[in-house]
Amino acid sequence: MRTLDRHQNPIEAEISLDRRSADRFVRFIDRNSTFLVTVLLTFVSVSAFAYYYANGLGVAYNDARSHLDIGRRVVEGLNPGAAQLGSVWLPLTHALMGLTIWNDFMWHSGLAGALWSMIAFVGTGVLIDRYLKEIGVGLLGRFTGVGIFAANLNTLYLQSTAMTELMLLGTMTAGCYFFLLWYKRRKILHLVAAAFFIALSTLVRYDGWFLLFMAAAILFLSTWREGGYRKAEGLFILFSTLGGFGVALWVLWNALIFKDPLYFAFGPYSAHAQQDQLESAGVLPTKWHWLPSIKVYFYALAYNSGAFTMILGLVGQVTMWLDRRLSREVRTASALLVAPLLFNVLALYLGHSVLYIQGLSGDTWFNVRYGIMMLPSFAIAIGYLTDRLRGLRFTLVGLLLFTTFFMFSSGDAVTIDDARVGSSQKNVSEVSGWLHANAGPKKGFILISAASHDSVIFSSGLPMSRFIHEGTGKYYDAAIESPDHWARWIVVRSYSDDDSTWRQLKDNEGFLERFEKVDSYPFADIYELRPEFISGLVTDQIFADNPGSER
Amino acid sequence: MKFRFEGLRDMIRREAFVFGCVWFVMILLLVSGIRGLPGNPGIDELNTASWTGTGPFESSNDRGRFALTYSLLEDHSLSFSIPVAAFAAPDLAVTADGRYVSLFAPGVSFMLIPGYYIGRLFHYSQVGAFVVVSLVAFVNAVLLYLIARRIGVGRIASLIGSFAFLFATPAFTYAVSVSQHHFAVFFIFASIYALLKWDDWKALLLVWFLCAWSVAVDNPNLFLLFPIGLLALVRIVRTRISSDRIRITLKPLRVFTILIMIVPLVFFGWYNSNANGSAFQLAGTLRRALSVSQYQSESEQRELETLVAMHEEGTGDSGTDSPSTVGFFKTRNLYNGFFVHFLSPDRGILYFTPVVLFGIAGLVILSRKRRELANTLIAVVGVNILLYSMWGDPWGGWSFGSRYLVPTYAVLCLAATVAVEQWRKNRIFMLVFLLIFGYSLWINVLGALGTNAIPPQAEVLALEQLTGHEEKYTYQRSWDYLVVNGSKSLVYQTIAKQEITGIQYYLIVGSIGMVAATLLVVGLHFSSRAKDTV
Repeated sequence: MRTLDRHQNPIEAEISLDRRSADRFVRFIDRNSTFLVTVLLTFVSVSAFAYYYANGLGVAYNDARSHLDIGRRVVEGLNPGAAQLGSVWLPLTHALMGLTIWNDFMWHSGLAGALWSMIAFVGTGVLIDRYLKEIGVGLLGRFTGVGIFAANLNTLYLQSTAMTELMLLGTMTAGCYFFLLWYKRRKILHLVAAAFFIALSTLVRYDGWFLLFMAAAILFLSTWREGGYRKAEGLFILFSTLGGFGVALWVLWNALIFKDPLYFAFGPYSAHAQQDQLESAGVLPTKWHWLPSIKVYFYALAYNSGAFTMILGLVGQVTMWLDRRLSREVRTASALLVAPLLFNVLALYLGHSVLYIQGLSGDTWFNVRYGIMMLPSFAIAIGYLTDRLRGLRFTLVGLLLFTTFFMFSSGDAVTIDDARVGSSQKNVSEVSGWLHANAGPKKGFILISAASHDSVIFSSGLPMSRFIHEGTGKYYDAAIESPDHWARWIVVRSYSDDDSTWRQLKDNEGFLERFEKVDSYPFADIYELRPEFISGLVTDQIFADNPGSER
Repeated sequence: MKFRFEGLRDMIRREAFVFGCVWFVMILLLVSGIRGLPGNPGIDELNTASWTGTGPFESSNDRGRFALTYSLLEDHSLSFSIPVAAFAAPDLAVTADGRYVSLFAPGVSFMLIPGYYIGRLFHYSQVGAFVVVSLVAFVNAVLLYLIARRIGVGRIASLIGSFAFLFATPAFTYAVSVSQHHFAVFFIFASIYALLKWDDWKALLLVWFLCAWSVAVDNPNLFLLFPIGLLALVRIVRTRISSDRIRITLKPLRVFTILIMIVPLVFFGWYNSNANGSAFQLAGTLRRALSVSQYQSESEQRELETLVAMHEEGTGDSGTDSPSTVGFFKTRNLYNGFFVHFLSPDRGILYFTPVVLFGIAGLVILSRKRRELANTLIAVVGVNILLYSMWGDPWGGWSFGSRYLVPTYAVLCLAATVAVEQWRKNRIFMLVFLLIFGYSLWINVLGALGTNAIPPQAEVLALEQLTGHEEKYTYQRSWDYLVVNGSKSLVYQTIAKQEITGIQYYLIVGSIGMVAATLLVVGLHFSSRAKDTV
């Protein structure tokens, strides 16, 4: 099979391989690509988590700490239960965390949440490979696509955190993949699978809702064109019923728990309320302006994916749509890949989303990670482009490796900047450190607003059952009424009515007369009950039946 | 292998008069642009405004490299005396033991030595040094012609490519002053030509030597020459796939040609060791000195530091720290870098040299017919654009056009020859080409004859606060310079200044170029198709 021989030229050595063996090897890789990608990405995923866990960045995002706390409150605290899933952030990731977050290490390391991001990371990589295989892309193009997605510091960082982006990418990519399969093979099971994964995505982030809308619209219009209205209507109802199940459940949940089906959208902690505040402060420049919305989002795309990747991805996407070698069905299905782009620009334009780019929006970052949403789409488009540009494929891959090398050598992860120095970060180590050192060894509850200070709760390292917050029902009601009987410490941002605990306590005599401010920090002040009143303090859980009252 | 310059001989024999005239015009235009003043200036004279601000050394890029040449020949030292350091500032580095050295790789400075030496004999030391760069630029134009001919482009189209590269891109500006850019183009073109013409160990020897030497000229050349190194590697390890076997042929003798790289690398290591303190210490990784306190007045230092700080604010870089070797390049800069290089009014290709965009069409055509070469050229262009888009200062300081992309202009002009050859009979295409060619030519003659110190747009507001008047950041600044100060060209300064204004000189030089360009394009359109077109 393999020979090393000398030819006519005495100073030439030749290695000769049997072509069939080489072909067999390539076929083996091709057949087992799912397994290989899974193994490789699992290794990458675990390594990346270990790296960010070791350097403490895994829980740098304020939101990551809040996500972990929400998951923890479901299983531990003064009022555990499903009601702790809350109203604003969609529940799937928090519900899944419940499987492991009872363990303190899983909670405080962030692994309870990151685990699902890591699974989604591996799954998305596998789906990119399979998507490309379905549209006839060869091994090099497929591995290039997987590489674009996996060899990106922003993906690697986000998959190591308890954020929801990777779960969204995983479920959306799965939805797109099965949507493609439906168009290729017309098996109803594939449409059901697409609807199922899109339904899951609608329970991770609101981007999934737009994906559902777009998928349903594409399905309805393309089927109407091909098979008439009645067929389109039937498929639309089938798809929307399953795909919209998560949305319906969420609306129902809000109606049952918060007595308002649209509480998630217009409640006091909703993005809408947050954006209203920003708008009144004059720092929501994208609202009702197309160009700034497009510009800001493209910057986010370029900073997350890499500008070169973004440009190639867009070129690849257009090439896919124009390529007559792909069937019309495949091209139609691939339109779904741009849903994140349309959603984010639209959300910025309508003022439902906010995204700050340092240099464009003052000297800060905020939500720049939203730019990661198109990365699987870019990966698929570039994988396809690599395959199509047969003669230039190695040059293209070489240039991509070139920029990837510099991404790693310069440590360019905008999501880490977003987490560490942007508006998404809160350095609460001082206040949480104080609580850990002073409240930890003593008995007594800490009254705090979880909506404002979840990161303090997380970083303090204390059990959730030490905190009285908005979700603790009777404890919270009682503590707001008589803080001196229920709380030994109160953590609030003094004089800020955005802090619901302060808002309700600022005129309370028990608070004003019986507590003294013991320390003050940039994000919160700590008040402690004067020693003479400690004897009347409740320090144990006393409500056996405490129905949740999420506020 | 027979070292026969067939292309050159063919050119001399068959197109002696017409084509000789075109080459003569090219030499004439180059000479008309070379910057300089007569004399063998000492360092005190070089530090005066007549040699720096309004003289041939307006850019620190020129001064930094010339300073080392001067120091080598006049002071016999690799490190700078205080006055030489003041001349080189702010492109100046300080070693661990407190010596001032050049911030740049030494290759260009060493290659200027013969020109400086000969020029000094004729009382034109600075001009002699500058002529070396012009000569290299001219050789690049010849190499472009020869490569184009080698890949089957006709003679006129090949000449158009050479002409466009030399005079319709910012390469003209950097052919008449001191910079590293034309040397980089030389390494690229000479290597490609060698690989196209010869297929033996001697060609590889040349390529490896040039690859290694290029690093000593400018460190990022390591990346620019990498695709060519890969092309050369294919000559050592060749893969052939047949229906039943895959044969990988290794030529051991050719492997040994790589050893030639040791020669330039030893030189580079020797320089680094003696100048920077360690064989592996690159100048760019040393601590940067913005000014020389013992020499410059406090107000001069303040002004210099303000200007550098303004520039660094615009680029997001802090040049005073000791950077790591690859730390200069950040992918975060790519988006802005692409904009600066392609679309910005202060540097963008679209404003300064749109003619090179025809090269993209040429690369597409070439990729169908000469895949291996097209891949190499695209890789060189890709690396060049990506590398300097990741660079913290894609503007290249105060410069004319996007100077870091001179190698890209060269490759795209080469590829453009393929496009114009292909569509030579299409009147509309040729008319559009001529218009854009003409526009690019007029713009770039402006940069060569006027000033090439154009600030980035990002610095202009702060600069205006400092100077109290409007500061232009496009090629208009060169025009204004010509109107107020005349041309920096040696010919203008020594012969024409008394007779004509700077603008008149610009119009004369530009018209000569335009007539030649028009004749070439019209000539191509009406000539018969070459036998061996791509």
